[in-house]
Amino acid sequence: MRAFFRRVAAMAIKETTHISRDKQVIYMALGMPVVLLLLFGYAISFDLDLLPMGLLDRDNTPESRSLIQAMTASDAFEITKHLDDPNQLHEYFKNGELKTGLIIEPGYSKSLKRNETATAQLVLDGTDGTTAGIALGYAAGVAQAQNLRNMEKLGLMAELPIQARVRALYNPSMDSSKFIVPGLIAMILAIMATLLTAITVAREWELGSMEQLFSTPVGRLEILLGKLIPYIVIGIVQVLLVITIGSILFDIPVKGPLYLLFGTSFLFLACTMGQGLFISVLTKAQMVSTQAAMISTLVPTILLSGFMFPIENMPWPLQALSYIVPARYFIDSLRGILLKGNGFSVLWPDILALGIISLVILAASTARFKRRLD
Amino acid sequence: MNEPLSISVHELTKRFGDFTAVDRVSFEVRRGEIFGYLGANGAGKSTTIRMLCGLLSPSSGAARVADTDIFQKPEEVKRHIGYMSQKFSLYMDLRVEENLEFFGGAFGMWGKKLKKRAEYLLDRVELLDHAQMLTGRMPGGWRQRLALACAMLHEPEILFLDEPTSGVDPRSRRNFWRLIRELADEGTTVFVTTHYMDEAEYCDRVGLMVAGRLPALDTPSELKKTWVPGRMFMVRGIDSTRALSLKRRDEILAVESFGTGYHVQTSDEVSSPGDMGKMLQMDKREQVEIEEVEASLEDVFLRVIASFHKDNTSQEDS
Repeated sequence: MRAFFRRVAAMAIKETTHISRDKQVIYMALGMPVVLLLLFGYAISFDLDLLPMGLLDRDNTPESRSLIQAMTASDAFEITKHLDDPNQLHEYFKNGELKTGLIIEPGYSKSLKRNETATAQLVLDGTDGTTAGIALGYAAGVAQAQNLRNMEKLGLMAELPIQARVRALYNPSMDSSKFIVPGLIAMILAIMATLLTAITVAREWELGSMEQLFSTPVGRLEILLGKLIPYIVIGIVQVLLVITIGSILFDIPVKGPLYLLFGTSFLFLACTMGQGLFISVLTKAQMVSTQAAMISTLVPTILLSGFMFPIENMPWPLQALSYIVPARYFIDSLRGILLKGNGFSVLWPDILALGIISLVILAASTARFKRRLD
Repeated sequence: MNEPLSISVHELTKRFGDFTAVDRVSFEVRRGEIFGYLGANGAGKSTTIRMLCGLLSPSSGAARVADTDIFQKPEEVKRHIGYMSQKFSLYMDLRVEENLEFFGGAFGMWGKKLKKRAEYLLDRVELLDHAQMLTGRMPGGWRQRLALACAMLHEPEILFLDEPTSGVDPRSRRNFWRLIRELADEGTTVFVTTHYMDEAEYCDRVGLMVAGRLPALDTPSELKKTWVPGRMFMVRGIDSTRALSLKRRDEILAVESFGTGYHVQTSDEVSSPGDMGKMLQMDKREQVEIEEVEASLEDVFLRVIASFHKDNTSQEDS
């Protein structure tokens, strides 16, 4: 057993020396996560931010202006064009100058005063489904609030019979970065971890040093563990880096216990690095394994992890597939730890799943790792 | 030759699909012996070495290395042997001492013991002053010596060296062989492959490998006696018609072009360069040089290959 640890240590020291001599690996390991986080953190947003809106106010009364003001009160919409004709919207939607239009017909205020149904028309550019959906929800909310206020003024009814009081817990301003950044952290860690380890075994095959290694009593598991250890340390540094930047730039809190944050990160790194090793063991070539690593982490981490698309809405085969994607469990626990302050009692199923996946992948790599040349 | 057996191989065979890389090879190597394995590229030298090192599983036959069955306990074999693979495979981005420390650790060595052993070996291979050097910056001959030191760390009983001197300059090669001789004298068995014929002369015994078979195996001098009997003269300054005309005489056993002239092998009756000159019926004005030479292993190798192919063709014909 002592010999086992000595050999693992020898491998780990050697691997650390390789890394310390290779500036590219260091730049990649510490620079790439920052670049990716900034890039994606600012690029991906589900919040409406000054969506250009065209306005045609044919009523032009205090009531209609009150509606317009309500619409533009937050920074969701911004009136950038005043229209003379509703048909102008087509032109502006086509050239992309406008995304929405608000048309208030004459008689809006009269209908309101007579307690009849008053109509204001919201027109949306449906080609961008996500934005249109969010805009629609927002506008509906504004209209309802406006209704209540008018009814109150008329002294008709102080409250609606059923009133849904919407309050988004853990993310009161419904800030999408709070939702995205944990997923981003998982994606960045997954890419980096798989890439870094996918190269390492393949490189030994290409250099011919694998043959020399095989002539020593070093075992397969010892080779894999020795290679894993320094990269896990790098991975933990990446976690620290990304969480720090996340909390500074995107106001991501860390409400849960730190030991859980690092514990789940460690298990997730073990899964993704194990995946990289597995690829490396199979392909034995650096070029192929790099590409395989990119595809095999990016696609599932983005599509099947709940990062962007809710797993509950997927058809059942994809849902089933998502159970073997480690990012699914990691993103869930990250959101829990960072935003909700969840503890072990809530997160243990995620932790268990990550533990099982990492053991399975490491076992599979060891099994597929032929210690002989034939 | 009362030393115990280090390696014993019986009918060892390795097939890759339809291709037989090593074909029923048998030999024995005693402790402290330098056993040379000679052959062209692709003759099966590396395949044999890899099987004996427990890196490749043999197809059939039997073999024991350091009293360990390579079929049953290939992993156990690795504890007793040092191996230098053909492709240089130390880590170029590690320093000299880091390579030694790593391979020591791979053999389960640690701490002071490893440090002392590494220092001793660095001294042996004359690299002690360069322990801090990056391996990739060293010339080929130094790397080879470092690789040897790495293979020697765990004091192996047997060293397997697969073409250790390929791509190394002649002086480094000579130094390397001196080192190997010293190790053998201290009791290490050395199994070495090479395609340099002159290097084979340093070996106690030489096996010649042709197309997976081992048709000749003996000490260098016995090989020469058996395969190139009689005397050998180096003749320079004659043209090919003259050389071929010699072949008709009974005393002449063989004529082969060799370097800048011809190696003429004769029966013992031709006892001096003068006798040889008479047979050539030289004109006085001709500038012909004749000297008696010792047959080289290259002569042996050519004969072995020729007879091997003749045997094989006649077998196919019958």
